[in-house]
Amino acid sequence: MFESITQTRMTRWGAWLLGLLFTASVAAQSSDSLDWGDDESWGDDPWASEDQTWQWYGFVEGAWAERINNDPLIDSDQTLAESRLQLETERAFEDYTVSAKADFWADGVEDNAQADLRALHLDTTLGESIDLRAGRQVLTWGTGDLVFLNDLFPKDYTAFFSGRHDEYLKAPSDAIKLSWYGDLTVDAVWMPRANPNRFITGERLSSFSPRQGRRVAAPPKLDPLERDALIDDSEFALRLYQNINGTEWAGYAYKGYDKQPSAYDSQRDRTYFPALEVLGASVRRTGFGGIINAETAYHFGADHAGDDPNLPNSQWRFLAGYEHEPATNLTLGWQYYLQWTQEHEALIESLPDAQKPFATDEYRHVVTNRLTWQVLRQDLTLSMFTFFSPSDADYYLRPRAEYRFSDQLTGSVGGNVFGGEDDWTFYSQLENNSNLYARLRYQF
Amino acid sequence: MSFSRLLTRSLALSLAVIAQTALAETLTNAGEIVERANVAAYYAGDDGRSAARMMIVDGDNRQRRQFTLLRKDVSDGGEQRYLVVFSRPADIRGTVFRVEKKIGQGDDRWLYLPALDLVKRIAAGDKRTSFVGSHFYYEDISGRSIDLDTHELMATTDRHYQIESTPKDPDNVEFSRYQTWIDRETLLPMRTDYYRDSGEVFRRMEVTAVETIDGYPTGTEVRMSDLDSGGYTVTQFRFSEYDVGLPDDIFSERSLRNPPRDWLQRD
Repeated sequence: MFESITQTRMTRWGAWLLGLLFTASVAAQSSDSLDWGDDESWGDDPWASEDQTWQWYGFVEGAWAERINNDPLIDSDQTLAESRLQLETERAFEDYTVSAKADFWADGVEDNAQADLRALHLDTTLGESIDLRAGRQVLTWGTGDLVFLNDLFPKDYTAFFSGRHDEYLKAPSDAIKLSWYGDLTVDAVWMPRANPNRFITGERLSSFSPRQGRRVAAPPKLDPLERDALIDDSEFALRLYQNINGTEWAGYAYKGYDKQPSAYDSQRDRTYFPALEVLGASVRRTGFGGIINAETAYHFGADHAGDDPNLPNSQWRFLAGYEHEPATNLTLGWQYYLQWTQEHEALIESLPDAQKPFATDEYRHVVTNRLTWQVLRQDLTLSMFTFFSPSDADYYLRPRAEYRFSDQLTGSVGGNVFGGEDDWTFYSQLENNSNLYARLRYQF
Repeated sequence: MSFSRLLTRSLALSLAVIAQTALAETLTNAGEIVERANVAAYYAGDDGRSAARMMIVDGDNRQRRQFTLLRKDVSDGGEQRYLVVFSRPADIRGTVFRVEKKIGQGDDRWLYLPALDLVKRIAAGDKRTSFVGSHFYYEDISGRSIDLDTHELMATTDRHYQIESTPKDPDNVEFSRYQTWIDRETLLPMRTDYYRDSGEVFRRMEVTAVETIDGYPTGTEVRMSDLDSGGYTVTQFRFSEYDVGLPDDIFSERSLRNPPRDWLQRD
């Protein structure tokens, strides 16, 4: 027993150290030259010349995140201990561009080696005004800052909460995206099978289970029924967009499945991804010396009547935001978000008594604040993102300091800090996963 | 090169020659000099394309930036559209910056972050902050509105008009005044010194190379120095072209997600 714990620890430290050493050694090899180098061709632009080859890019990164509190449910004292290599390549052929991006990492928390194909897509233009992207790709739309109403593309909350770089919040989708650019922009996305979130399974992070009435973690890991039938489990997403004199209007529609396994099949005792349709709209423009935005979405939950406790109710979601620069190099952003659960009374009535206290409020209010301060001519970025819910009485803080040592080397330290009054609300359920992290990345 | 393009170019060239001949006269009105210098420096042609690279030097630390710049004027001395597509360094490769430059009101600015597929709208904010970590400010790249300062012709030498500019709203800027040496022939600002209240120069812009491209004299190497720290940034422009016929619709959301390769490609 003791031996295996020691071994696990060593693997973790090993993974982290390996990444660090590799990063440092690569960094040491590349000495910054005084001159521009002899690349008179300025060859870095992918459109520099007609003669195209495969372009390669990537980074190596060591990342470590230590839990602030001990989580009695999870052995590991870390939420992150990894050495990562990302490789990216791109090549343009006549009218087509092929891109691929893959991550490989030694994971000290799960004690294994992992790989993730983050992009593999083909881009082309059909006629004058249609762009096509087919394949694995990251997709984003909507006006929220880390708050998503109409963006029903998959997120990786496990990565986001555990201390990885922000870019990992977005998980890739296997999709075909057609964009038509006329007076109006129409984006139509078809995902031949459902692309759910990379949700919290309990392996790395613990969360609250209303059915069990307590916080839980693996084993057993959360293992919902999959939505992996090609065509049958298709998802569609649509956006109409128009910029009228600097005011950006957009309408959205989605027909697919909930990104979270929010439904429960009591016969099979398994969670699953229920059907979900969403309609929404947003507007964004300059105003009050900054940027203002508003967005709304109606989520047609699987349970219209609201009286089935095993299915999610419908919800209205609203967002209003304002971002400005109150002082030089200081950006301040505010958002107010409302999640209004429909047929709330029916939901409460239908729940078993033991689960009633854990039900979401009819009106869940969230206020967010983003503070970004750039100093040392943008080499150092200090930022703080705060989620605070007055109705749930809980919070989620994301402080971060990021420093650019050079064009290649970037270091970050930061945290993911959760807390609140009750064990079961949205952010406070994650309290034992609170962590402080450090990352060092070398780009090439 | 197509015939019509050749024709446009030779026409532009002869117009430029005529313009230069006309400029042999000595200007005496500070307002007119500043207006024409602004057009010469920031509004050459109806549109333009250029590759640019920056070397940012702070002691031993050197950083590079490389990008392609597309510009289209709505009117000379007035509104402009910019698209800036970054290719270097690795962490900002694929980032695209779009600006609708306005006069007398805040610009509209968008930023595309490829890793997240995110089109971010940015508050116009202070234009006298670093452009992508360099010693240049946003305002140095896209031009400071000439209405923000009062201008006075201090001296006229063989080669330069020497203009002193004083901000109308000194609370909004970090300098108390600045002096610009404007080439009498090309009307390009060749050097600008920024002064503190104490009378000390703390920041300097120098054009260190000029080439005539498509008939337009163009500063192809510009140096911005922080005289306090000794740090500086050198920007070089290459493969510049004017009057390339950039269509309006490339200055749009489409180009953020999918940069217009045909228009970015060098001839």
